[in-house]
Amino acid sequence: MERRFHTYRYPLSEVLPSLDELARYLHMEDTEHPAYLYMVERLEQLRSSDLEAVGGYVVGRVDSVEVAEGRLAVEGVSFAVGAQVAGYLKEASEAALFLCTAGALFSDEAHALNAAGDFLEAYIIDAIGSLTVERAMDRIHAALAEEQAPLGLKITNRYSPGYCNWPLLDQHQLFHFVGENPTGITLSPSALMHPIKSVSGIIGIGTHCRRRAYGCVICQNKTCIYRRIVQREKAV
Amino acid sequence: MNELLQKLFTCVEFGKINTASPYPPQMRGQEGAQELTQQALAEGIAPSQIMDEALIPAMTCVGQKFTEGKVFVPQMLLSAKAMNAALTYIKPYFSSGEVKRKGTFIIGTVFGDLHDIGKNLVCMMVEGAGWEVVDLGVDASAEKFIEALNEHPGAYVGLSALLTTTMTNMKTIIDKVHEVHPDVKFIVGGAPVSAEFAAEIGADGYAADPQDDIKLLEGFLNA
Ligand code: B12
Repeated sequence: MERRFHTYRYPLSEVLPSLDELARYLHMEDTEHPAYLYMVERLEQLRSSDLEAVGGYVVGRVDSVEVAEGRLAVEGVSFAVGAQVAGYLKEASEAALFLCTAGALFSDEAHALNAAGDFLEAYIIDAIGSLTVERAMDRIHAALAEEQAPLGLKITNRYSPGYCNWPLLDQHQLFHFVGENPTGITLSPSALMHPIKSVSGIIGIGTHCRRRAYGCVICQNKTCIYRRIVQREKAV
Repeated sequence: MNELLQKLFTCVEFGKINTASPYPPQMRGQEGAQELTQQALAEGIAPSQIMDEALIPAMTCVGQKFTEGKVFVPQMLLSAKAMNAALTYIKPYFSSGEVKRKGTFIIGTVFGDLHDIGKNLVCMMVEGAGWEVVDLGVDASAEKFIEALNEHPGAYVGLSALLTTTMTNMKTIIDKVHEVHPDVKFIVGGAPVSAEFAAEIGADGYAADPQDDIKLLEGFLNA
């Protein structure tokens, strides 16, 4: 079977976070705070930009999933996804390997702002970029679900190298599998993507696949500042 | 405490930069860190006293609130902005030697890693605590650290890594730097790093947050 990259493009205006979403993410809901005002200003500016987020996926047949070994093979390419992710993917008969980027704008700007000592502004631009690429990937994820539904197939959450004990270095395998694509994302020898605001990973496809609780709910990182935010929100 | 310095402390704590800045609302129209620092200097208050009695304690207070989860990154960054507005007027006295910095801290995110939010916070807080900070940015190689140490002999070094894959680059940097500068002390930090790991790779300390880092640095001075 020939591998095909399904491409999706979204104008930034469609995938930028809403003000509320950004405010919650940064735990900054004081509408008079300069950080908040800057969020309002930049979101508005970015909404009228003509840049796009671009991403997509390649679907391949799953050869085998070995949960205990934490391995999964897709059309002859083996991934060391770790036991946890392998468990989540064990019902998959096919898998979509995906890439998506919000473009270089966000990290270029954050870099310039940091260099000028404007750390607050850099932090906000950086966060907008992080949420934008996730929002674009949410759309692609939904498009994949829609594409598979008529075939009676369901899909899993998305999982990325660097998470849940899936070694980051597996990015090299992932990029090798995905092959030629129009996203323009490149990989450094230490497995970091450029542009920085990019995501990559795998989504399982199968008749018994399902989405499950993920993210902060299952994370064990005790020192993370986002955990403190979640705990505070629960306490309120 | 001197009333002017007390006011300056409050400005830095809440991020009141200058008279024109509308934030915080309850201080609207009042003077900010910038004007108060100018006034203090004009009144003959020693720049070192401004540092020790207003700027440093204010940033310590903000750092403490961050550690306790009472404020988050944006609030801390705004306080740092107010502090920087004040520092603009104090900095000339650093170079003239009238105000002594506690020492120099060279910091960077290790090669292969691009996470810099935590490192930037550490930079600002350590500077606010009265140190000269040399920021080598992200993806910093051992060679960069060696170069910076050549320029700033006697400096302490901080390494940041957020990835389990790049944590190990900390050891590479420590080893290479020690070949050239055997006495340099290293503090390591970042979410995946622990005190055990720090000991394993030959670092002199591990700090969970900026306040911790400052305590370690002051400990080195007093050792
Ligand atoms: C924000 C973030 C990003 C941002 C980075 C923005 C930036 N400019 O830095 C973006 C979105 C770009 C990013 C990207 C990636 N990330 Co990331 N990211 C995070 C996240 C959510 C928060 C980090 C952060 O900024 N925290 C806030 C700051 C204030 O805290 P901190 O960094 O821990 O710093 C504090 C202390 O640690 C300490 N400290 C820090 N450094 C130092 C240094 C010294 C000397 C001292 C004393 C103290 C100290 O002081 C700070 C203040 O208290 C973490 C998860 C987490 N909770 O840590 C993941 C995380 C670090 N990322 C992770 C990964 C895997 C990635 C990617 C590689 C994923 C991928 N496959 O795409 C990508 C790389 C993208 C690419 N281009 O290749 C993983 C790493 C896991 C691992 N096994 O290594 C994490 C842990 C998420 C996870 N899986 O749970 N990421």
